Amino acid sequence: MSKYLKAEEQQLENTALELQSHALKAGAEAVEVCGTFLHKTKITLEKQDFHLASADDNYVFGIRTLVDGKQGFSSCNTVDPKELRDVATRSVQIAAVSPQNPYIAIEAGPNLSADTKLDLFDKELFQVSLQTQKEWARLLKEEATRDKRFRLNEGSVDIIAGATLVSNSKGTLMRVTENAAYWTLMGMGVEGNEITSFDYFQEMARNPTQVQEKLLLSTRDFCKQLIDGLKTGTSKSYKGLAAFSPRAVAHILLSGLSYHVNGRNVVEGSTRWTLDDLGKSVLHPTLTVEDLPWLADRTGAALFDREGIPTANTTILEKGVLGEFLMDSYAAKALGQKSSNGHAAGGPTSLPGVGAFCLSLAGGTKSSSALMSEAATQQKEFLLVHRFSGNVDPVTGDFSGVAKAAEWCIDGKPVHVAKETLISGNVFDVLGSSLFGISKDRVVINASEECPTLIADGVSVTGSQS
Amino acid sequence: MKDLSEKLKLLASRSPHWVEFRYHRRNVQTLQVQKGLVKQLKSSITSGVGIRVLVNGAWGFSATSDLSDVSLEKSLKQAIECGNSLSQVKQSKVKTLPQVKLARGEFVLPGYEALSKMTLEEKLEAVRRAEAQTREKSPAIETASGYYNEIFEDKIVVTSDGADALSRLVRNEFRLSAFAGKAGEKASATQTVGRTGSWECLFEDHSMDSLSEEAARLAVDLVGAPRVQGGLATLILSPAMVGLLSHEAIGHTVEADFVLSGSVAAGKLGQHVASPLITLVDGGKVESAPNGGGDLLVDDEGVPTQNTEIIKDGVLKSYLHNRESAAAFNVEPTGNARAWLYNDEPLIRMRNTYIQPGTQSIDEIIASTEEGYLVDGPRGGQADSTGEFMFGAQNVSRIKNGKVTELLRGATISGQAFKVLSTVDAVSKEFKLDLGAGYCGKGQPAKVDAGGPYIRCKALVGGIQE
Repeated sequence: MSKYLKAEEQQLENTALELQSHALKAGAEAVEVCGTFLHKTKITLEKQDFHLASADDNYVFGIRTLVDGKQGFSSCNTVDPKELRDVATRSVQIAAVSPQNPYIAIEAGPNLSADTKLDLFDKELFQVSLQTQKEWARLLKEEATRDKRFRLNEGSVDIIAGATLVSNSKGTLMRVTENAAYWTLMGMGVEGNEITSFDYFQEMARNPTQVQEKLLLSTRDFCKQLIDGLKTGTSKSYKGLAAFSPRAVAHILLSGLSYHVNGRNVVEGSTRWTLDDLGKSVLHPTLTVEDLPWLADRTGAALFDREGIPTANTTILEKGVLGEFLMDSYAAKALGQKSSNGHAAGGPTSLPGVGAFCLSLAGGTKSSSALMSEAATQQKEFLLVHRFSGNVDPVTGDFSGVAKAAEWCIDGKPVHVAKETLISGNVFDVLGSSLFGISKDRVVINASEECPTLIADGVSVTGSQS
Repeated sequence: MKDLSEKLKLLASRSPHWVEFRYHRRNVQTLQVQKGLVKQLKSSITSGVGIRVLVNGAWGFSATSDLSDVSLEKSLKQAIECGNSLSQVKQSKVKTLPQVKLARGEFVLPGYEALSKMTLEEKLEAVRRAEAQTREKSPAIETASGYYNEIFEDKIVVTSDGADALSRLVRNEFRLSAFAGKAGEKASATQTVGRTGSWECLFEDHSMDSLSEEAARLAVDLVGAPRVQGGLATLILSPAMVGLLSHEAIGHTVEADFVLSGSVAAGKLGQHVASPLITLVDGGKVESAPNGGGDLLVDDEGVPTQNTEIIKDGVLKSYLHNRESAAAFNVEPTGNARAWLYNDEPLIRMRNTYIQPGTQSIDEIIASTEEGYLVDGPRGGQADSTGEFMFGAQNVSRIKNGKVTELLRGATISGQAFKVLSTVDAVSKEFKLDLGAGYCGKGQPAKVDAGGPYIRCKALVGGIQE
């Protein structure tokens, strides 16, 4: 137990035991409790100024029960003994009316391996005062508004400290304490009648030194990119090469891919791949995708999953060959696998689902600028997509939407931001036969996925000159 | 509820600063069936009090799930400390909030009692039946999914300047998806409904059977359907798509907090911004379309909701306000302050946003369209500070020589909001609120509805290029 949130961790553990006891007495044969405690202080910016300061402490518990192979779930945000009994009973009552499902299970998981090294709690950050947090918010505001063309719509500096526990009546007990500082900005560039698109970013740090290092730098980069977006021009309609920045790769392509490697979707039969495809080449041979849960500087870092199963690095795709599906215990059982691979996602208010923690697409061999120049020898002018405002059909992989702040490139170099430009294509064509290349250099997007720049053929661009 | 209300009034009367107490209890039941198996059946209760204070022109906020006197007093003290701290650095102080007739009494929307009496088993059985029926519609249907969600809300809003409102409502929604496949090609289609009210009112306009029929038919027809050609096109938007346009493209740009940040609607009051055929309203209750998904009698600042004419006959008339922005614009608040949970601060949000109906029938409008597309099935949307919007459409049908011809795959529609509304040359007399299970995201979710008549306009379609 951490010495910094000891009372809160003890409360989580006591409440989990209480919930389990009530549920077992009410007739449950197995019980799982997921609980969190969060202490959040937040300084909000709005319209170039400070807006609000807030503080909030809360406990949340979710209780999953099994009765005759039937599942019930309920959640609450209280530690009141009477309400806890009601919530536990409610979960058992829900199980009683649910139909049986042979794949649902609550089981004891393995313990954390001794070589797991992931420390998500920093005592110095825990001791940061509201005054210091206000000072960080002031730095964020001043850096953002240094150039008067940047309009700050919203921003915030949050410090969150918390504890998470997953326990079950079969013997699993996992807990972790963590804290982090997050800062976000949303705004636009304005100069005369010219207005850029809205844009936002989020960054995080797990100790005060990192905050000092990253806050100004990340804000400066974000604001510069927005202001540069004031230099707008036109774009042409074509079908051909398009470049996807790391951010666009994460948003359009990795999100499209994620659906089809989600074990629960495989069970339901709505994915393009099945168990028979494991070990087969399914996408372009330059593509390697991993899920890396032990990177402390990412928002998705986790020691264990929503079912209390220890996490591990997972190779989803290696050189285009399908490696593993992401599975929780339900998907593993339904797919006839030995065990979950620790990808149960969700929080205490939701039933376990399946998800990735922190996806990483490996880089290629050439720099992004060399890759762009090489593409220009095949097609003199093309679009570089950054932010995507549109839809990716998870089933077909078709994507269609507005390419926000996309850059029109001539001879492989951006010349202006292309206004009112739409793109359309298919994720699996882009990641398959149409892939032109991926860059060596990669970028971490919003403290989460890490991706290279990617160029692909066969993308439809509807430009403002159409 | 009444005892708590008295307790909050007493605390408010003792506060040295303006204070708002908002008790909010949210009881959510969710169930989901996929391929014959129950994927989710859960209940979630979240309750607590959010306390907002105005200290020397700065906002402080705190929240607690513990309703004891000690906890409420501690939380009030914490909110005051937050406000006090922020007032030392806030440059532009919040003006005194406008005097307005604040809500007092009980405000109950119909359906709460009736829906709470219906058992979970009955609801589950209905969803299971609908999902099974959908799978049986065609051998091409590979899987289906049925989802039902209901949110019971109880609130008390007490302010130190006189609001004393108890409110109660229930919002429910149903979503049915069909996934079809033929010869290696896949497609999906989803039908949704969402209301504020009873089970019967949820299925008043669309029965479960008709939703099942339509989802299955569309999914099968969309497999292998041709893609739309990208470019500027004449579009007839269905009421649901008009709802998205009203909400995303106009509604967000006239939220006064965005206006103050420099949205495209800033400084345009009194100007022609749309075709004279357009009158656009955001209301807490729509007389001609009862039980809207965004119905609201009192907002989260205790202000009775208005039906606000945003655009009247093409002229921009009003923005959407909370009490703070109303003070800044020297107008009355419009009752648009909404918070998702007790520990969220109220933000300016829409309720039911719609364009008023016209005089032509949809058949007449189609018959007079030489070439274009009929666009239906909203699939999410986003708006920008520039007024540029994007929304996804599930199904697009080609119109040729006054007749609807073939079904095409879904696409993205985009344009500059005011420019697109200026191109409107036909407005149907058929009208409905039809955003279905629609939520709006702005840091916090909000349950909203939107709709209107069929309208004919010109906008960009994000499709393929040959």
